[in-house]
Amino acid sequence: MFACLCMLMVVLTACGGGTGGQSASGNGTADAAPTAAAAGTEGSSDTQTSGEPVKVVWWHAMSGELGTVVDGLVKQFNESQDEVEVEAVFQGTYDESLNKLKTAMGSGTGPTMIQTYEIGSRFMIDSGAITPMQQFIDAESYDVSNLEENILGYYTFDDRLYSMPFNTSNPILYYNKDAFKAAGLDPENPPKTYEEVAEAAKTLTKDGMTGGSFAIYGWFMEQLTANQGAELLNHSNGRDGMADEALLGQPAIVNTLEWWKKMVDDGVMLNLGRKTDDTKKAFAAGQIAMTLDSTASLRGIVKAAEGKFEVGTAPLPKPTEADAGKGGVVVGGASLWILNDRPEEEQQAAWKFIKYLAEPATQAQWHVNTGYFPITKEAYNEDLVKENLEKYPQFQTAIDQLHNSELTPATKGAVMGVFPEARQLTETAIEEALTGTASPQEALDRASAEITQKIQDYNSTVAQ
Amino acid sequence: MENRIENTDETAPVPLQKGTLDANAESSSRTSGNSSRTASLGRFREAALAAIFIAPALLLFGIFLFYPLIQSVYLSLHSTNPRGQVANFVGLANFRNLFNSPGFPNSLMVTLKFILLTVPASLAFALAFAAVCRSRIRGMKIFRFVFALPIAVSVSTGSIMWMVLFHPTLGTLNYFLGKMGIAPVQWLTDPNMALLSISLMTVWMNIGFLFILLLGGMQSIPEEIYESAKIDGSGPVRTFWRLTLPLVSPTLFFASVTSVIGAFQAFGQINILTKGGPVNSTNVLVFKLYEDAFVNFRFGIGSAQALVLFAIVLVITVLQFVVAERKVHYQ
Repeated sequence: MFACLCMLMVVLTACGGGTGGQSASGNGTADAAPTAAAAGTEGSSDTQTSGEPVKVVWWHAMSGELGTVVDGLVKQFNESQDEVEVEAVFQGTYDESLNKLKTAMGSGTGPTMIQTYEIGSRFMIDSGAITPMQQFIDAESYDVSNLEENILGYYTFDDRLYSMPFNTSNPILYYNKDAFKAAGLDPENPPKTYEEVAEAAKTLTKDGMTGGSFAIYGWFMEQLTANQGAELLNHSNGRDGMADEALLGQPAIVNTLEWWKKMVDDGVMLNLGRKTDDTKKAFAAGQIAMTLDSTASLRGIVKAAEGKFEVGTAPLPKPTEADAGKGGVVVGGASLWILNDRPEEEQQAAWKFIKYLAEPATQAQWHVNTGYFPITKEAYNEDLVKENLEKYPQFQTAIDQLHNSELTPATKGAVMGVFPEARQLTETAIEEALTGTASPQEALDRASAEITQKIQDYNSTVAQ
Repeated sequence: MENRIENTDETAPVPLQKGTLDANAESSSRTSGNSSRTASLGRFREAALAAIFIAPALLLFGIFLFYPLIQSVYLSLHSTNPRGQVANFVGLANFRNLFNSPGFPNSLMVTLKFILLTVPASLAFALAFAAVCRSRIRGMKIFRFVFALPIAVSVSTGSIMWMVLFHPTLGTLNYFLGKMGIAPVQWLTDPNMALLSISLMTVWMNIGFLFILLLGGMQSIPEEIYESAKIDGSGPVRTFWRLTLPLVSPTLFFASVTSVIGAFQAFGQINILTKGGPVNSTNVLVFKLYEDAFVNFRFGIGSAQALVLFAIVLVITVLQFVVAERKVHYQ
């Protein structure tokens, strides 16, 4: 019985790890840390002299360790001033918290601000339930020029910033340096192209180790596509007007899936299903030598491998040498939205907190403790970040990858209201191809047609 | 078992009928004269009292059963916007789309397979365990406890436990298979295996409850019958087939009806272990409609599926009563 309990504990803690685009498979580990709102200090604000601090409720999706860091930031903010009291509430995964928000909309039970994943942006804008961040920025000429261009690029729609980026990540190739050495490969020269990855996987597959495994996660496919400069949707990825057609059946994506499938068929790459948690565990256990994962997992992966093997990181592979200059990665992660059904005073208070979160010092702390990038370039001047980069040089890969990504419609990322559903459909298509139920072209064409249908349905129910 | 359940069902409508009868009696007595006024007043009081007694039940049914039912009929005829609010009236388009898209027929097939994989196996195992545990041998209590144990495990806990067992690279099952020199099985990531794995786990979950139910049914069989069978020279196998099975058949029938309905409504283990994947191979009806309605906020199509599911369960249950109940032997 005791052993059984121990096993459960391991599973639960491992689940709480949290990954970039996906958040963790949320178990309720992160306590909301409700802060008592009864601190009756004398109010110093000039317009409102109520004496009580303004209460801001923040729904977030950061579980496990990430949730602890969030609670720490909130506590620091609350202690730094006495006008605003923020209460952070963990609401499950990104999907779950967004669904809760949908149910709460218009009922007056929603939060003041919410953290929503990047692919929920179109929905948030169309919902008409938010106050665009641009209003707050314009009102006090807040300077956003220090924010990373690529991050701003993702979250700018129709030349406006609707939300404030908070946690951003991108996917990188993780590899086991010791396994590379043992197989006679150069651990300082990781594979860069699809062919090199396939060859390395073949060489690495021996003695109970398989070359690698990528989780069947739509985000990876989106990133591998953008990395070739290809667009997922028409109308410049939905950035020049609403997209109404998905382009999954194009050669860039089909080739990528064929490459992936061939490695699985050859037995040099394992199919471990959709959970990044499972590939992460297999990687940490030394059962696979390469994997794709978010930068947000870097801390956890390096820690899990400590004492066992050295973790190497490399940029996301590209199809051929010739593609080297093309495309780049799309910013993943989440941003903060202010809801318009709360009193003006409360929205202003939320804005104050958001400004605090965007400060270089806060971002530095966030970056170092989680693996998400700082959203502001100034954070790299903080000593904390510099020291961390010395200790974990692996962080540099993702930062370089971000800075090397040229800002185009492809790397700004696709925009559609049904993105979460489109991901499910893409993942089904990848499964079909990898398990041989359908050829990559067939599977992707079918998914593309279904996504197109859903986008059109969505567009017809959203009043223009 | 059967009787008790029918009784509880009947308690609700009985006073209702009585109430309407009383009301009729009251109106007729009013025309006949004043002499019976006090009597009719008494009857009216009785009817009012009855109405008060069933009011809480009616209210609860109304809020949690009838209102949602009407609401899902309403929603099934509309399309909803991304916030889940009703956008347009679409008539029967939701139902038409259901049967024209590949997803829904696939879910029907998966559900059917799931029922075939879980219900007979659960019943057979529970029946076998109960038959063995019926005898009064010393230490049998321990076995009873063990076989009934899964009932104490919730679906989510059970799913997490099996997640550990099924884990593709670090799973306990693959570890033992490896020890025996058998290649690891992709329990949940192989589309040909996933439904089987989920069924395996479900059978294990079901056994606890069914075992208790069937054991209870067997223990209510009078001991004298067994004694006389023994005197007549009937062996244990024969006694089981000719005696135990017919006498426990009412319980078995009840268990099969509830198991089929339960299998139709399986959700927790699928949500936790596979989320309907891989390649929709475990996408049973309830999970699909949950995903459509509560993940993708298409309440229209979700409600349409809920109604179709309701109709299917109703038809199958009626069929079970009409066809299978003939074989049931009530004492």
